[in-house]
Amino acid sequence: MGEQHTSRAVIIEEVGWLTTIQDSGRRGYASFGVTTSGPVDPVLAGTVNRSVGNDHTATLLETAGGLVVTVEADSVVACSGHIAPTLLRAGERLRVDIPTDRNFEYLAVAGGIEVDEVLGSASQDSMSGLGPPVLQPGSRLGVGSMLGSFIAVDQLVPARPTTVVRVWPGPHLSMFEADAFDRFCSMEWRVEAPVNRIAARLTGSAPERVDHSEVASVALVLGAIQLHPDGAAAVMLADHPTTGGYPVIGVVEHDEVRIIAQTRPGRAVRFISAGRDRIC
Amino acid sequence: MADIEYLGSRALLVSGGPLSAPHLAQWLERQVLDGVCDVVPAAASVTITFDSPDQCTTAARHLRPILEDPALETAASDATAADHQIELPCCFDGPDLAEVAETSGLVVDEVIAALTTAILRVEFCGFSPGFAYLGGLPSMLQLPRRSRPRQRVEAGSLAIASRYAAVYPTSTPGGWHIVGSTQAEIWRTDRTPPALLRPGAQVRLIDMAGDRGVESGG
Repeated sequence: MGEQHTSRAVIIEEVGWLTTIQDSGRRGYASFGVTTSGPVDPVLAGTVNRSVGNDHTATLLETAGGLVVTVEADSVVACSGHIAPTLLRAGERLRVDIPTDRNFEYLAVAGGIEVDEVLGSASQDSMSGLGPPVLQPGSRLGVGSMLGSFIAVDQLVPARPTTVVRVWPGPHLSMFEADAFDRFCSMEWRVEAPVNRIAARLTGSAPERVDHSEVASVALVLGAIQLHPDGAAAVMLADHPTTGGYPVIGVVEHDEVRIIAQTRPGRAVRFISAGRDRIC
Repeated sequence: MADIEYLGSRALLVSGGPLSAPHLAQWLERQVLDGVCDVVPAAASVTITFDSPDQCTTAARHLRPILEDPALETAASDATAADHQIELPCCFDGPDLAEVAETSGLVVDEVIAALTTAILRVEFCGFSPGFAYLGGLPSMLQLPRRSRPRQRVEAGSLAIASRYAAVYPTSTPGGWHIVGSTQAEIWRTDRTPPALLRPGAQVRLIDMAGDRGVESGG
């Protein structure tokens, strides 16, 4: 260890857009108002991590682009924008471009980023600011030595993106017109700008609300779809609030929330029913 | 009898029944269920999230008959006995105190008396880490939120809106009426648990300015 260990670090040269440190996120604190966080696209983050030999959930950087880093010592890095892992020389700059076909990219360094955890996680919650200090030019992030096994490069290509996602009926369906769920699923919804880590706002033609009584605040889960008074649908992403007072019309299937998070503003999203009438 | 329904494939929503949401959450936390991530009380329900859909389904099958059992009510009294009691020393020096008094048809000292004699209870947390919704606010103090939220409300601000009182754990934007402040450490990430005000806790506000010569009864 010694000198060699302390010199392994990533330096943030330019922060870029929506850049955060992420690992698998926090659990067990939602009853105190602390959300899970973690990558908005865990599959892509995991793929990038594995390409440099890290565990799927090793700590890495998530960015909407414009991030520029250097390393203090030669390091193997991978970026979802480039796919193949590369050797980044000490002092050489690596830029993560603003993606054109998705919203968030990932940058992993072999060994994983090592920063002090807050409540058991290195993830930065973009809503509350919880987590390691906010990144700025000059931020120095340690690099760990925990390595898994390398995998073949031909496994790295992520699945082709689709914009059809499955949705389960939500707890407040009865507050809407009778065929609200079918209507919701038959609509085309478009992702609104700007993108963030908290919720994806979708524009469409929302089902009509027939019951206007106050909604008792309910816990929100990843993928919960709130219908807002202005007709927008908000799909909860990694940094979603833990409770909310808008009616929840449905819940996007857990593993498909990332598809919505990665859909570019202006593009369409479609929902299909994942099933219904499930009796516990 | 409580209702249980799926919230997507990895969460269950439990509502209704004899237990308050914090007590139902405490009871659910004591059940032996595999793969539980979080048990989250809200205004009138509790949500349990799981690592996998299978664990969620297994838990639903296990919980349903128990939640239908009238014996569940017995668990309520057990849980009540364990409630934390917290006294929060406060200064009633908030910028909205006078306006709150005027809107509710009281004088300032009567607002303070109403707040310090109320027995508040943490119903649930949300909005920001450690932000506890304290139920039990006297009805004459239940006002709609401010029409213009503040860009920044200081940590430690004691505020009221709708049915609730709350202390802002960190400095955030906020639309509640600020009636005072407290030095109590509401939120510390290096403490276990990090939140001072946890669901189910009973809270009393103590006026640091002491006796104001107002009858506290009523």
